Amino acid sequence: MEPALNNPAGGSDQIAGRSLEEWNAAYVKVENYFHALRIRNKPLLGQMVLRVLERAQQRAPAEPHRTATEIAAEEMDRLVTGWFAEVLQLSPTNTDQMLTTRGRLALLLADMPGRWQEQFLRPGPWPDEFIVAMRENFLLAGPDFQLSKMTPRLLDLGPITTLTNLGRFPYVRMIAAWIFFGLLLVAVFWLTHRIKNE
Amino acid sequence: MNDAPDISLTVLPRIRRGWRLFLFYSSAVLLTGLVSLLFADLLWRTGWSAARTILLLLFIVLFLLSAVGCMHGVYGFFIRIFGTNHRITALKNFRDQKISGVSTAVIFPIYNEDPVRVYEGLRATYESLERTGEVEHFDFFILSDSTDPDKWVEEERRWHELVRDLDALGKIYYRRRLFNEARKSGNVRDFLNTWGRRYRYFLCCDADSVMRGETLVDLVKLMEARPTVGLIQTVPALVNAESLFGRIQQFANRLYAPVFIAGLNYWALDLGNYWGHNAIIRTEPFMQFCDLPQLPGRKPFGGQILSHDFVEAALMLRENWEVWLAYDLEGSYEEAPQALIENAQRERRWCQGNLQHSLVLFAKGLRGVSRLHLLLGIFGYLSGPLWLAFLLCFNWIFWYQKFTGLTTITLPSLLGNWSGSGTAEAFLIFLICMIVIMLPKFLSLIDLARDWPRRKVFGGLAHAAAGVVGETVFSTLHAPLLMLWHTRFVLTNIAGITVGWTTQKRSAAGTSWLYAAQRHWGHTLIGGAWGAFMWWLEPTLFWWFTPVLAGMALSIPLSVLTSRKNLGARARILGIFLTPEETQPPLEIVSLRSRMKILDLTGDKTPQPVHAGLAEAVLDPYVNAIHVSLLREKKLNPVYAEQLTRLGAGSEAVRLLGEKLLADGPEKLKPSERLAVMADQRVMVWLHQQAWLRPEEKLAPWWKAMIREFSQRE
Repeated sequence: MEPALNNPAGGSDQIAGRSLEEWNAAYVKVENYFHALRIRNKPLLGQMVLRVLERAQQRAPAEPHRTATEIAAEEMDRLVTGWFAEVLQLSPTNTDQMLTTRGRLALLLADMPGRWQEQFLRPGPWPDEFIVAMRENFLLAGPDFQLSKMTPRLLDLGPITTLTNLGRFPYVRMIAAWIFFGLLLVAVFWLTHRIKNE
Repeated sequence: MNDAPDISLTVLPRIRRGWRLFLFYSSAVLLTGLVSLLFADLLWRTGWSAARTILLLLFIVLFLLSAVGCMHGVYGFFIRIFGTNHRITALKNFRDQKISGVSTAVIFPIYNEDPVRVYEGLRATYESLERTGEVEHFDFFILSDSTDPDKWVEEERRWHELVRDLDALGKIYYRRRLFNEARKSGNVRDFLNTWGRRYRYFLCCDADSVMRGETLVDLVKLMEARPTVGLIQTVPALVNAESLFGRIQQFANRLYAPVFIAGLNYWALDLGNYWGHNAIIRTEPFMQFCDLPQLPGRKPFGGQILSHDFVEAALMLRENWEVWLAYDLEGSYEEAPQALIENAQRERRWCQGNLQHSLVLFAKGLRGVSRLHLLLGIFGYLSGPLWLAFLLCFNWIFWYQKFTGLTTITLPSLLGNWSGSGTAEAFLIFLICMIVIMLPKFLSLIDLARDWPRRKVFGGLAHAAAGVVGETVFSTLHAPLLMLWHTRFVLTNIAGITVGWTTQKRSAAGTSWLYAAQRHWGHTLIGGAWGAFMWWLEPTLFWWFTPVLAGMALSIPLSVLTSRKNLGARARILGIFLTPEETQPPLEIVSLRSRMKILDLTGDKTPQPVHAGLAEAVLDPYVNAIHVSLLREKKLNPVYAEQLTRLGAGSEAVRLLGEKLLADGPEKLKPSERLAVMADQRVMVWLHQQAWLRPEEKLAPWWKAMIREFSQRE
């Protein structure tokens, strides 16, 4: 078990120049993130959070304008990124944040929450199986592309093409509606008068 | 190369195939001709008129359609008795084919469907294939076109879970399109353009498809055994229905389809059709010949071809590739709508697609049989308005008679005395019509009686017969509603009007009374008004019309009650509407149902918050990692890279949208803006970091709530 929160700044109701309230908020923030990473073992979770807060408290006196939560969150990010860099043997100066993405994916594919919780954020050396699981698993959305281009074959619709193009002439719909109306009148007349004749 | 198989499939010479087609349709025409003559005689006896000419023409068309349906039943019945070698599965020893070195992709194009059901169907298919020991020759692809961000993220998350559970990394893939151009056919085309050339065959499934492993392997072996085949369509059995409506449809499908499809195969043979799913396709010719062109003119007829399957089959046939219906290959399943209204919604989509085929019908170079397939599809929907026109014309003749006060003087029949009085002749015609409609059902029942094992899985002959009676009563009431719906769909399509449908408010019990009233009040009103008019016109006539009027007048209770699961269950307890998949469910269906049940019982019942998918993709470290890696892979494909650029991925504008998302919450962004943010891998990584690093004061209240929810998740 890691030691409890240090009190480098001395004061009874303050730690590193911040109130206990503030550190409590920082604790919750860091704990939430590890919880989101599915660290479910309480003692382990507590140790990790305290480790982050300890680093934050060391930085805190030098940055009086920033909140404990901000500093702790940053330290958590640095700690996790640094650990990913070590495990995956990648440069920690990865600026586009892809290192952390790769690291989180590796944790998932290696089933860290299920099998390797105790290895997370622990300094090396790590078990070989864990190293292999972390470094060699990749998520593939598909096999290698084999690009080609399908081309639509023309359908010769004959007179239908001409008919469908008729609609582009101005007023054709209006004229068609009038013709239809006229035909309707003729039909009504024809239907009603034929019977009488018969 | 595999050894040549011993092929016993008899390919008919063109002239004999033409003879079959002639014989089949001539039977229908002959029957129609004789009955139409009788009907014309009846009309003549009561005094010819213009309206009667129209009535006769409508009768001829409608009766011909019924006669074609009836002939499918009759021919299919005899084919099942005497057997035939003219079917794709008659390829002897096709099962001895080796498929090592043959690659097949099984694709599941999806669009905002329930990922749980889609993936469980895929799981059941995959596990079944694993049991055959041939899974190494297949790759599975989930091809998403989902536009709902929640669904998108859930699909990604569940895909990883599925791959992990089945240890199928590198066997089951997931791809989401950035733009869903040309809908399903575009989705499949995108797959083919990206990976198609890796696979000799691809098997297209629907979101609710389940396939037996042996069936998948058999399909590949059939394709290998006969290199001239371009496509083999299976006949999917409807499964998993629980509501009364669903179980009736399922029963009808399982009992009647074998007879009908055998009849269809009689004339179609290797010039069969494609129904869009549960079919295996030879990739190369499909890619070469089946990319669909845009139709000229404006919507709804012009533009993109909506019902692509029929046209793709026609294009395949145009290039002399064979298309077969493997109607006797079991192990192909799908699900169907569970209520009348859902069914009508599907009909509406299909209606537009089929009407559009009226343009393709005249395309040069198509095989005559392809035109027949297209024509039958079109008339499947046109028959609704034609039937309505027939009924209205009939009413009009009666009304005019009453209005003019003319007395009907029935003349002697030109056909001699045997046809009796006018009433007797009318009754005879009515009887023939009923026989033509009912005969295929009756023959299906006899077909069942001949087959003891099959009879048993339908719950015995008595139960099956009771099912046929129940199904007939239901379809009699359902038919007038379909008539009104189809008429509306056809007219609105022709007028270019889009009919809006709200999402159905379904309770666990089925369609709610309120929703049914909203959808059916028009039917009820028409039924009531028409009934009153008929009564006023001629009470005797009213009674003849009761089956049609009852369907309309009772549409609300019919819709609600048939959607009920408890009534479906009660019918099942009574042994009515049983199907083979209910009495002896195959392993794939048992596996699917049990997992769905477990997930239903153990799943999270709490309603998902709004934008839950977005929250998960940003806040959950693992889901974010999956999401970002999938986006990252997209950039390797030049087509997707170009589309990402079109979406603005990597641009400052999208980064600013990300900033706005954090500061103001998702509600302040338009849906397209949210999608643009979610398609930008850098912004998504940045959002994940910022959401967890920023002090809460700098985040929108929505994020605070989401973070709190995440921290409480178990």
